Amino acid sequence: MVIQDLKVLICDDSMFARKKMSMTISALGISAVYEAADGEEAVAKYKENKPDVVFMDIIMPRITGIEALKQIIEFDPDAKVVMASSVGTQGHLKEALRAGAADFLQKPISDEDTKAILENAAKGVL
Amino acid sequence: MFAQFFGGYLLNKKLVTSDDLTQAFEDKKHTRMRLGVLAINAGLMTADQVEHVNITQQSVDKRFGDLAVELGYVTDDQVEKLLSQQPTEYLLLGQTLVNNGVLTNAQFEQAIKDYKTDNELTDSDLEGSKNESLSKLVTEFYHLEEAVNARMLTDYVTMMFKNIIRFIDGDFTPLEAMVIREFDAENLIEQRITGTYDAVTCITADKDVYFEFAKRFAGETFGDITGFENETVGEFLNVVNGLFAVNQSNEGGAELTMTPQKAITGSKITFEKPAYCIPVVFSFGEVDFIVSAE
Repeated sequence: MVIQDLKVLICDDSMFARKKMSMTISALGISAVYEAADGEEAVAKYKENKPDVVFMDIIMPRITGIEALKQIIEFDPDAKVVMASSVGTQGHLKEALRAGAADFLQKPISDEDTKAILENAAKGVL
Repeated sequence: MFAQFFGGYLLNKKLVTSDDLTQAFEDKKHTRMRLGVLAINAGLMTADQVEHVNITQQSVDKRFGDLAVELGYVTDDQVEKLLSQQPTEYLLLGQTLVNNGVLTNAQFEQAIKDYKTDNELTDSDLEGSKNESLSKLVTEFYHLEEAVNARMLTDYVTMMFKNIIRFIDGDFTPLEAMVIREFDAENLIEQRITGTYDAVTCITADKDVYFEFAKRFAGETFGDITGFENETVGEFLNVVNGLFAVNQSNEGGAELTMTPQKAITGSKITFEKPAYCIPVVFSFGEVDFIVSAE
């Protein structure tokens, strides 16, 4: 798959964080970019759009990113969910990887990190 | 970070005003380090000797270093060594204040001596950015050794300043902290840290300053987002707190997490435990950073 054909879901309660990442992803020529503002919305949007990659924040109102990750993996065990959070503590890392996260990015996330994740996803090696 | 705290130190000692510092931070970008200030800082020459060389230079067409050697104040090797040094930020600030006529060479000599003694800082501390030296400086400046959870507060405040320099601006002056139990907030963003220990953290400022702070973090591009200020200042606080939590997890084994940020506008916020309110003066105004360890 070429990178431009990827479908990407960004889940973060910070509109600023979503817009910033969305801008980076759009600049790579990807047009199918979806956004969710909390864990619940992320699960719903995942089911609706079946994105190839999900960038998921952890600290969010209603249900956390970890809980949303669990629900997405339960729905689709092959889902590629990358945790994109400010709290990359040992505890959160372990919990996320145990729940089936494909990778973990510590905020602030650079454009290069986002690009590397998407390139790997396009190659099928995420 | 030493430059900003050196500025704060000079302010506390009433050697400079806040306006002097704002101007000096602006001018510092174009300041070229002079050998005299480097020699004073290294303890190789006194301010009087530097003045003597400066005055002699008015009648003799020679470089400062050559004259200082001729007058027997320093050796060729010492001049060579001084010239090869990278100017540190706090020295550039000092040089700028001298250039602007705010400090004399003698006042600068005394201030730098006192600053090092009061904070138990060596030249090598000031040239690098060793965590231990930064922590020492922060503890001393804010008198955190008296606080409950002194270590956590020191780590937090040090991390906060590093990220202010990284993401917002290095041209600021930290003012002395106030211990508060409540705060009347025009615009405030709050985030709680929970886990091995609990803390409340906030950022607050007047409307225009708050907006400018947000713009510094986000860039101009995002100014049209609804609720831009709270969104952006909230994300800055989230990033700082996250990096703090990771650092504590990696170095101290503490397991911390955070709650979603909360924006508070035009109301009073109270703290269960005494909170440290740390005012920081930027060129665009004052921003208060509040942390209360519970």
